[in-house]
Amino acid sequence: MVEVMVPIGPQHPALKEPVNFRIYVEGEKIVRLDLDLSYNHRGIEKAAEERNFIRVLPLLERVCGICSHSHATVFAKGIEEIMDLEVPARAQYIRTIMAELERMHSHLLWLGVAAHEIGFNTLLMWTWRDREAVLDTLEEMSGNRVHYNMNEIGGVRLDLSEKQVAAAQQRLPLLEDRIAQYVDMVSHQETMLIRFRGVGKLSKEEILKYGTVGPTARASGVDYDVRRDDSYLVYDEVPWNVVTDSSGDVYGRTKVRIGELSESLKIVRHCIENLPEGPVRVASTPKMAPKGEILSRYEAPRGELAHFIRTNGTDKAERLDIRTPTLANWTSVAKALVNQNLADIPVIVAAIDPCLSCTSRMTVIDTGTQAQGSISWEELVRKCRARYGMGVQP
Amino acid sequence: MIDPLLLTVYILIFPGFLFLLAYSLFFQYIDRKLAARMQHRVGPPLLQPLADFIKTLGKEVIDVKGVDRGAFSAAPLIALAAVMTAFLYIPIIGASPLAFQGDLILVLYLMTLPTLTLFVVGWLSRNVFACVGAIRSVTQLFIYEVPFFLVMLAPALMAGTWSVSEIVAWQQAHPWCAVLQPIGFVIALIALQAKLERTPFDIPEAETEIVAGPWTEMTGHRLALMKLAFDVSLVTGSALITALFLGGPEVPWVITPAWLAALAGFGLFLVKTLAVLFILSTLRVATGRIRLDQLNDIGWKYIAGAAVFQVALVLVMNAWWVQP
Amino acid sequence: MSVIREMLHNLVTKPFTILYPYEKAPIPCTFRGEVAIDDDKCIGCSKCSLVCPPQVITMIDGPREVEFKGKSLARKKRPQVKLYKCIRCGLCERHCPTGAIHLKDTLSGCGTDKEAVIT
Repeated sequence: MVEVMVPIGPQHPALKEPVNFRIYVEGEKIVRLDLDLSYNHRGIEKAAEERNFIRVLPLLERVCGICSHSHATVFAKGIEEIMDLEVPARAQYIRTIMAELERMHSHLLWLGVAAHEIGFNTLLMWTWRDREAVLDTLEEMSGNRVHYNMNEIGGVRLDLSEKQVAAAQQRLPLLEDRIAQYVDMVSHQETMLIRFRGVGKLSKEEILKYGTVGPTARASGVDYDVRRDDSYLVYDEVPWNVVTDSSGDVYGRTKVRIGELSESLKIVRHCIENLPEGPVRVASTPKMAPKGEILSRYEAPRGELAHFIRTNGTDKAERLDIRTPTLANWTSVAKALVNQNLADIPVIVAAIDPCLSCTSRMTVIDTGTQAQGSISWEELVRKCRARYGMGVQP
Repeated sequence: MIDPLLLTVYILIFPGFLFLLAYSLFFQYIDRKLAARMQHRVGPPLLQPLADFIKTLGKEVIDVKGVDRGAFSAAPLIALAAVMTAFLYIPIIGASPLAFQGDLILVLYLMTLPTLTLFVVGWLSRNVFACVGAIRSVTQLFIYEVPFFLVMLAPALMAGTWSVSEIVAWQQAHPWCAVLQPIGFVIALIALQAKLERTPFDIPEAETEIVAGPWTEMTGHRLALMKLAFDVSLVTGSALITALFLGGPEVPWVITPAWLAALAGFGLFLVKTLAVLFILSTLRVATGRIRLDQLNDIGWKYIAGAAVFQVALVLVMNAWWVQP
Repeated sequence: MSVIREMLHNLVTKPFTILYPYEKAPIPCTFRGEVAIDDDKCIGCSKCSLVCPPQVITMIDGPREVEFKGKSLARKKRPQVKLYKCIRCGLCERHCPTGAIHLKDTLSGCGTDKEAVIT
């Protein structure tokens, strides 16, 4: 049969962010695919080198809208470790509450999007309606529904008042009830079951070979969660469980994410009830950071997020490298799509919970031959100097 | 025979084309409102479908280079004409004045034309998504058409006539065919949902997979008229199921002033078609889209099998139950 | 089945939608809206201008006598904000020693001229 190239993206109703897949199909079976991830590249890693530690956190939050708190927290905790700061307990608890609320809103959003990809818009409307309760709580605590800007080096920006805590506690039983309903719905709704079961199956060996992280990996039986295995914030004091599944298909990933929703709710409830008294930031934050290098890791809603930070004794980071979980998961999509149906593309892509704002890397395309590749730093500097005639600082 | 002026009013105004167009816009409103309320949203106001139609009519028509413009412009008109004509043969306020033996087959044939024109449009647009969508729509046509025709056959076999109006008249003296042939009724509803390409069978137009399938390159007035054709198709399909299974507009007892009987019949017709719409809307909201190969599986194994079983059952019932 | 039950239940309950602009969503007190400056509290320390991430606060001439911690100061400068470029992060409010610059609960609007300055 003849191979037809079906382009998905950069503008496509299935995608929430621009990405380009060139999918080669024979009939309705996929043979291979090519990816282009560069549409959302904004140069944030470079921009972070020019801002001091107070000004850089709002910038890093804006890497992604949905996992904004993750980026800010992982950077803050990395710098605090380099500076050897002891963050007070109340601040850690507040950071954990925001982190788990963020995980809840991200997973509810994902559940709606996964339902939308199979045309089941009812579940989209219902999950996003319940997500409003989480967003209202986040707005009361921090002032904004996304981009909370709660972190500072050495603590949090705002304290939680009695009223905010009480309002949050009041919303939790309703959310718990709704999550239980979604567990029931997902395990009995016929169309979801037949569209998700057996689709995009990846075995444990393949997951480990391609370096997949997060709920995608945990759905294939890989028992790894950064919150437990490289603990940070207060995850070692709060009782919670890692959710895994052994089926490895999209249905397994759904079950893992819904399980994580319940676990997050328990963590939020525990933290709110046991919030310790005390200051919310260290007494005085140093302006400069000593020379050092650190790899700071965090379990974002999509998986393991890693920031590599190198400091050199000034008040700015010398080099920041962000490895987001979605970047690690794209290989699994490319492998899982082979020999699947054309109709399963949105389902398999949505199953890794792609966040292209997090992922984008630069791609160099030769407009003549349409060949794609990457470019070294020296080559880029040379080309920019030749093209724009300006001095670019290496 | 009915006098020509009255016939012209019947065809053009009521219950012909003008009523049909108004009723199909109203149906779209009820469908969208029901779906919205079931999803805990507000839904559009009453005149929204009319506003959408007028707006789409005024949009720019984008002609793809190298595509046959004549076929593109003719396709929505053919589809619309076909389903509007089909509606004339269905009893609305009593027997249709155009009824003849075999008009059931004519109605069923006319109702397949929108899907075929959609296939032609999709095939001719030089667009990968439209091509895939067109192939899917024809594949789906093969899958649901067989059970749909078979279960429409069953009431005709039971009533012993090939005219829709006479089947409706037969149901005045006997229980409704929905009661006598429940399997057939359920399959007719499912097959109608597939014919109208609504969830869970909106595979040809899968928005998240192939942009808009065969609808991708349709713009402006062509899109408005094709959408209107599918809306009218919804009304015609519901009216057909009402006529064949739910007794149509016939009132189960005799009412003396003839105009009152006609009015009561018309009122019953409205209620019954809205009930069918309610079932179809609920089905649309409660499910997600299935894959084409899964539809193939379910369609041939269970739906077609049940339809054949229903027809066999009707033949057995006919042999055992002596017709008066 | 639970899906259909919930759908039918939703048919008879009021929709979840807030009918803006006839109804309004509740705005919490921590809401980060438009930047406003209390001229009689500002001591001209420039901290807000230094911590602002997109650097939209400039200090302009604004001499005034202000009270700070019981003493009287002769302020030399005051801040001016490019409202359309502000990202509403709240850092200026957090670092201001007197609470002069703060975020209200109204929205600052947006415009195409990002350099438009509204104090």
